[in-house]
Amino acid sequence: MVIAIGFEGSANKIGIGIIRDGEVLANVRKTYITPPGSGFLPKETAEHHRNQVLGLIREALDVSKIYPNEIDVVCYTKGPGMAPPLLAVAIVARTIAQLWNKPILGVNHCIGHIEMGRLITGAQNPTVLYVSGGNTQVIAYSNKRYRIFGETIDIAIGNCLDRFARVIKISNDPSPGYNIEQLAKKGKKYYTLPYAVKGMDVSFSGILSEIGRKALPQKATKKRKLDQEDVNELPSHEDLCYSLQETIFAMLVEITERAMAHCGSNEVLIVGGVGCNERLQEMMGIMCEERGAKLFATDERFCIDNGIMIAHAGYEMFRTGTRMKWNDATITQRFRTDEVEINWEVGKV
Amino acid sequence: MEDIKVSLVIPFPTKRAAQIAYDVLRIDPEPKRNHIKKHYELNENNLKVEFIGDIAKNVRVALTNFYESIILCVETQKQFGPPVSEEYSHY
Repeated sequence: MVIAIGFEGSANKIGIGIIRDGEVLANVRKTYITPPGSGFLPKETAEHHRNQVLGLIREALDVSKIYPNEIDVVCYTKGPGMAPPLLAVAIVARTIAQLWNKPILGVNHCIGHIEMGRLITGAQNPTVLYVSGGNTQVIAYSNKRYRIFGETIDIAIGNCLDRFARVIKISNDPSPGYNIEQLAKKGKKYYTLPYAVKGMDVSFSGILSEIGRKALPQKATKKRKLDQEDVNELPSHEDLCYSLQETIFAMLVEITERAMAHCGSNEVLIVGGVGCNERLQEMMGIMCEERGAKLFATDERFCIDNGIMIAHAGYEMFRTGTRMKWNDATITQRFRTDEVEINWEVGKV
Repeated sequence: MEDIKVSLVIPFPTKRAAQIAYDVLRIDPEPKRNHIKKHYELNENNLKVEFIGDIAKNVRVALTNFYESIILCVETQKQFGPPVSEEYSHY
């Protein structure tokens, strides 16, 4: 039996999770929410995490009814992410490991998402779509690595959504993406946006500029005059949110389908913060049905960054013999999914 | 121009508490573009840190970051201590 505690704080969420052999004992989280029209910055986010982390550890211990001496391994997010918040959380994890005299393991954030998704949904060897505020990747397992088949070549999909939410100044509570999703449900008219799939990769920054121009034509530059259609009537926020979602989700479904065809896979797993968008799940579901494939997705407790996914990925690593030297318990802003060797079993190989 | 040098000596209640702060903080490299040299030294229950750099602003930033980190480490020790062992027994 292995009990692992996980510390996650690579972006604006700070989460602590405790897991015992795949059984979730505690999963607590706090989100740093900024006012409408503004995003979260590294320094302020780190300060938020520093203020919240100790209270959350206490809460996680209370909820799980686990004593520190029962814990086998302390896991934390090594990267990728913003350095100041990562560092704040890593310092606490290291101090805790020293105080309780437990081994420490740095976990790749993306691997955390994938393993958590597999644990919750029971997907065996899925094609993974990992979509969040900082990452957009299509991933499949092959020969001891999670290989990246396609990804964004500029900004992440969640970043595109968050920044559009800032353009039209909607609330960041509980999350900008959730509020866009609610507005989009009321959208009726589809505005044409660029569709930017480049081979297996996608691009969102041009789409963001274009929809920004549509939302605020007064800010558009003279260089790129708007279509007559757009000037006559200002598009509603609902229609814009709807058009944006439909376009960018269609791009994701396309590259996911191509990755599935390439791998001969009949399972799709959606993970990451954007993965709890029900419209994305619906669109992916239609594609899967047409192909006779199965879709796996989770809800916001496990999709959005959380401590339990770090604990679980750390548990898999620990169980299969991965150990970390103390001097390697650092953080790194860049840490690609395919840098991690996977020593545990993933489906049928 | 001569380098700016700042040294801090931080006393801890016990030798082990100082050792933990030393081990927790020493492993992070300073950001390269900061051009700051940082040395940690452990002397019984005192943690000594020295910052050397040629731009005052960078030294100040390094110091501020250090304060934030060590406060967090000390606060964690206060709430979840005392340490269960006299030394760390994993790699």
